[in-house]
Amino acid sequence: MTHRYIGASALALALFPLATIQANQANELNPDVSVILDGYYKQNQTALSHRDQGFGLGHTELSLSSPIDDLFEGRLTAVLEDHEGETELELEEAFLQTTGMPYNLSVRGGRFLSQVGYLNSRHLHEDDFVERPAVYRALLGSHYFDDGLRLNLLLPTPFYWQIGAEAFDGGRLSEGDEDIGVYTVNTRVGGDLSRSQSWQAGFSYLNNRQTHSEAHEEHDDHDHKGDHSGHSHGAGYTGENLYITDLVWKWAPGGNNRQQQLTLSGEYLYADNLNEHATSDDVHEGWYASAVYQFAPQWSTGARYGQVELQDAHGDHFHHQELKETDVMLAWSRSHFSTVRLQYTHQEAEGFEQADNTVMLQYVMSFGAHGAHGF
Amino acid sequence: MDFKRLLSGVLLGLVITPAQATLNVFACEPEWASLVRALVPDADIHTATTAMQDPHYIEARPSLIAAMRRADLAVCTGASLEAGWLPALISRASNQDVQPGKPGLFFAAEQVHLHQPHQHVDRSMGDVHPEGDPHIHLDPQRVPVILNALADRIVDLAPEQTNGIRLRQQQWKVHWHLKTTQWRNTARHLEGMSVGVQHSTFGYLLRWLGIDTAIDLEPKPGLPPSASHLSNVLSDPAIPELALILIATYQDERPAHWLAEKVDLPVEVLPSTVTNDADTDHLAALISHIIGRLEHYRSQRPNESASND
Repeated sequence: MTHRYIGASALALALFPLATIQANQANELNPDVSVILDGYYKQNQTALSHRDQGFGLGHTELSLSSPIDDLFEGRLTAVLEDHEGETELELEEAFLQTTGMPYNLSVRGGRFLSQVGYLNSRHLHEDDFVERPAVYRALLGSHYFDDGLRLNLLLPTPFYWQIGAEAFDGGRLSEGDEDIGVYTVNTRVGGDLSRSQSWQAGFSYLNNRQTHSEAHEEHDDHDHKGDHSGHSHGAGYTGENLYITDLVWKWAPGGNNRQQQLTLSGEYLYADNLNEHATSDDVHEGWYASAVYQFAPQWSTGARYGQVELQDAHGDHFHHQELKETDVMLAWSRSHFSTVRLQYTHQEAEGFEQADNTVMLQYVMSFGAHGAHGF
Repeated sequence: MDFKRLLSGVLLGLVITPAQATLNVFACEPEWASLVRALVPDADIHTATTAMQDPHYIEARPSLIAAMRRADLAVCTGASLEAGWLPALISRASNQDVQPGKPGLFFAAEQVHLHQPHQHVDRSMGDVHPEGDPHIHLDPQRVPVILNALADRIVDLAPEQTNGIRLRQQQWKVHWHLKTTQWRNTARHLEGMSVGVQHSTFGYLLRWLGIDTAIDLEPKPGLPPSASHLSNVLSDPAIPELALILIATYQDERPAHWLAEKVDLPVEVLPSTVTNDADTDHLAALISHIIGRLEHYRSQRPNESASND
């Protein structure tokens, strides 16, 4: 490494003016900078959506990441979102993670995406559809991130088995006075079935200790919930206990996912103990199943069905709400860094005013460093 | 050859290797697994990819995380070839021995000078690696440099195996040297040949052989062949000079066949890395196999341009 560096510098010194060398050396120490541009056109307003009708910007992301030293790495992700003419700047991630812990332990601290479920820990721009499934939008605010601490351990088994626990402030899920409002535990297992097939299954539990105090605040704006267009980033519906199971199966002939890949994924979410007035029958429950087929290096198509049954708190009682959503999409990626997606969404709802069908055209483009994607 | 066998037999007899823990190795590509096996035959090696997979596009899937968790040493190409998946694997496996800057992470591309490093790179140029072309594993001159560095690294990690590793390193080099002489003899008669390719997968070897890669089916590095690019290629003045179109087993054959049919050329699909087949099961065999196939076309079309006159 050192040898190569000296060699390269000597060569550069011989061939290029000093300014170039300085620029290059600085570059070596600069963090990886990445920008995600996400824009769309949406024909109609839809229920529980974070994207308004018409032209709009989605999740514009600026991310910096770098090793800090030989024991820590860090990442900062700022998200710019536009709501009714106002641009909001929000910190989505600001965390450090250990890289040198023994026994395959890792600790992450700061603000980060919770690892509950399959989709939640992924960045929105990695998704195959314009928006997360309805159940995610309702129960996790599309993606739940918060200030906290995580401990992960990879077990010494021949197959992949990870267990993890997180503690969060909880204020981004529902407001309250607890210092530690949310706890999660999570486990994942996975492996290959053959050269062409691989799978992963997960189970997560999220304990929200602040559901009770929230009920009153919720009451003030419950009339607007049906029209809620996602200005608040917290989850609209919460419960003391949230259980999530997820399963993913991927198939690529010969394991060559560059040419072709089929991905089937699904999750089931269940929340109970909604607040002090809830009976054991008052629960939030939902699931989705998605199939995405990348049939050529630059093309993929997919379909997703999801539904969610919710209990909207009205003082000491609940109103039943239900949303069923079907999406079909076609996406073209010129390169690994650009995607244009056409999607049709069909909604059937009970207790939501804005449920509708819509066509959406979306682009997701990235420039700068492009982070490696997970499974 | 007899002398070599005698020598190695005697040396083997002299080496007394105590019982030791098996070295657990994660190889990003089969070519590096093959080099590790040549140095430490009893190592427990997990190879992340095959000749049927595009090494740029691999997913950090659970089985690979589990394999990385166990590794004492990861041997990868580097130069951003695995940028889309290796960082995620390293991060998720949280193996304290295999981390950037630690001896447990070995990058072949850091041991040699790469072809075409770039001072300036932007994505409009395609998937160009600023460090240079990372497909170094078929280069007869660079592979021995990598092997030496790899042997040094393994000796650092498993000093108790030093004698065995140094011995096998010498044996490997003698064998490689003999093979290189053979290849150079063949190269003399392949020189000046012109082939169409898809990506720079075979680039280092073809350059070493003096073979010209006049046509690339990719419009930009890393982008799949497009209809508009292929129709431009059709009118390329270099087309009549081509002896064949050479693509790798992991690549889509359709664009090559489409072009080949239009301009009446043979298509050769070859593994770009070591496989389980007997004739390509280690790097020297693979290079011999590739050169053998190129020779076949050279003798079929000794001089295309001459026949056009």
